[in-house]
Amino acid sequence: MGLLGKLTALPVRVGEKIGLLEPEVLPLPPGARPPRHTFRWDLDKTYLRTEFDSLADLAKSAIETAADKQAYPGATALLRALRQDEHRICIVSGSPTQMRQVLAAKLALDGVEYDEFVLKNNLKNILKGRFRSLRAQIPYKLPAMLRSRIAAAAQHETLFGDDAEADAIIYCLYADLVAGNVSLGDLERVLTASRAYDDDAERCLALAREVPRGEAVRRMFIHLDRRSPPMGFRRFGPRLVPVYNYFQAALVLYEDHVLTARQVIFVALEMLDSKQYELGHLATSVQDVIRRGRITRETALQLAAEANEAAKSGALSGRRDLPPFEQIAEAFRERVRELGTGHVPDEPSLEPLDYVRLVDEEHEHRHRRRRQGMG
Amino acid sequence: MRAMHRIVVDAMGGDHAPDEVVRGAAEASLVLTNAEIILVGDAAVLGRLLPRMRHDGARVRVHHAPTFVEMDEKPAEALAAKPEASIAVAADLVARGEGDALVSAGNTGASVLACARRWTLLQGVRRAALAAVYPTELRRGEKDDPFSLILDVGATIDATAEDLVGFAVMGSAYAKLVSQNRRPRVALLSNGTEAGKGPASVIEANARLVETTELNFIGNIEGLDIPRGVADVVVTSGFVGNVVLKMLEGVSETVVRLARYAHKERLAWRLGLVALSSAIDQLKEVTDWQQYGGAPLLGFTHPFIKAHGRSNARAVQNAVKVAHKALAGNLCGNIARTMAELDERAQRRLEA
Repeated sequence: MGLLGKLTALPVRVGEKIGLLEPEVLPLPPGARPPRHTFRWDLDKTYLRTEFDSLADLAKSAIETAADKQAYPGATALLRALRQDEHRICIVSGSPTQMRQVLAAKLALDGVEYDEFVLKNNLKNILKGRFRSLRAQIPYKLPAMLRSRIAAAAQHETLFGDDAEADAIIYCLYADLVAGNVSLGDLERVLTASRAYDDDAERCLALAREVPRGEAVRRMFIHLDRRSPPMGFRRFGPRLVPVYNYFQAALVLYEDHVLTARQVIFVALEMLDSKQYELGHLATSVQDVIRRGRITRETALQLAAEANEAAKSGALSGRRDLPPFEQIAEAFRERVRELGTGHVPDEPSLEPLDYVRLVDEEHEHRHRRRRQGMG
Repeated sequence: MRAMHRIVVDAMGGDHAPDEVVRGAAEASLVLTNAEIILVGDAAVLGRLLPRMRHDGARVRVHHAPTFVEMDEKPAEALAAKPEASIAVAADLVARGEGDALVSAGNTGASVLACARRWTLLQGVRRAALAAVYPTELRRGEKDDPFSLILDVGATIDATAEDLVGFAVMGSAYAKLVSQNRRPRVALLSNGTEAGKGPASVIEANARLVETTELNFIGNIEGLDIPRGVADVVVTSGFVGNVVLKMLEGVSETVVRLARYAHKERLAWRLGLVALSSAIDQLKEVTDWQQYGGAPLLGFTHPFIKAHGRSNARAVQNAVKVAHKALAGNLCGNIARTMAELDERAQRRLEA
């Protein structure tokens, strides 16, 4: 780069450094093959154990170093597994752009590679006096996801979020928009209900017009960080699965033929290594997803058989802390048998979603929580 | 990671089961991070209830039991007719080592019988005892606990001197752990405070307990000392304990009925009750059995916490916490150790 180029790039680099400018999402180079599968992840409360219910929590989160930050057990192993086969990892987080360095360092420490990493430019929002945007989720995340898909449209997409904010609504809206199930008129009404600024709404509508269509979003996971009752997510349909931990997400992805039994084992091992889970917890997690109808008993039994083969071929080698795999598999089978045969899970709703109502309810819920002093 | 405690909950037992029982257990799963809760009952019903409640899906599991014992059924007949009743399956799980403690708000007789038929007594314990808590004037322990413990209240009808000594050891160990009372005052219930008063079993038990250094034995007390809170642990036979407990409950109900009558009859009385209402509310809070959780069945190798039949979610959650506390504090191990020490001393005395 010549001197002139360096001088021109300087304000951009300074802007990025202070978080005022965000690196652009670049389209795929000409001739590059589009990704087969894109996995979109939120960070706080989805990948990272973050507390932001109070000002003290926010302050603590802001001064934490990369080494202080903790990923949820199993999340790192899952992200690494998903990165294989040239799949695309896109991170869209509501954390401010000033956190980019520390968050990027944390992901690097965990050995997590990604293709995109979008953060929220709250400094710009403050400077422009757009205070509504500070808390707004839909007018920020939806355009970010649409922009990402326009840059590199995958045949399949899987989304990971949490129950702290409006991830379930945003992800379903994005999925339905991409599938062509939400009209631009409906989107406009949703953006109005979300209190989006007019120019933001216009930009979002323009992106929605441009986004490549298709039934791309196969699966959405909502990490139940707040331990919200899973029944509250029934209305979002069978494609959205609330999970208590990433072993459950791995089980569903195994049923979806996205992960192999060996990859599921690695997620389980990371959870056991965290010392926050024991084999019993994992077996109970299997029972929980079966009971909720999110995987079948047959899948669980097939996984046990395939995992046995994987264990024989060395997936558990050197793990003297664990009992023989046959014993582990039997404990898992026992949890399935414990359910008896009469249990029929509630079917998730197949009704189309009324997004304007969902957004209004979410606003009301958030206000109620704030009044109760819960953030 | 601390040892994980597996607490089996009879999800179908209780006046408000399964909804309130499941809710209480679900809430307990959020606070007891090193516990696994096993809900025993109709898997279809429990599977529909759980997703409606906040809980930790990795720490609550369901074990299917197709039937359950109703609150008003005769225990022995019901258990014979329903071998797969939730309380029987739950007691079985613990007996097989698949659970560490049991909690039930269901039919008391059936619960005690189910445990007695499947579980083994601790070494040195001849008979199990069912304990009950009663609110008293005095507070005790680090928790300022207003409840005293009375045992046995019906697990066994008659009790020998040896049994009474055993009950004293078990009651003391429980009060130490649950009320965080370092030296609970233990007393024998009799018809006089003198050591020589009462039936032969009580006189002999008194003589033995006086010699123990492991317990804070304060001698005999009379019935009127129970509500005063003179003792933290009141020891008696199952027959007497049951009569006393029912009488105390009867007196409480009569007082409430009289107050209602007074409220209706005269304006001056009504005003008096209104003036006293905040004090009554405070008293209610102090003596709220729901916060206590439940009463234990002591003497077996596993703790069993019997929650009140009318338990709501909060009472069930507290009963689960008590069971967890009993496991974490090794209640059964402590009882066995004290019994062994008493036994050893008795042997030495015999040899001398």
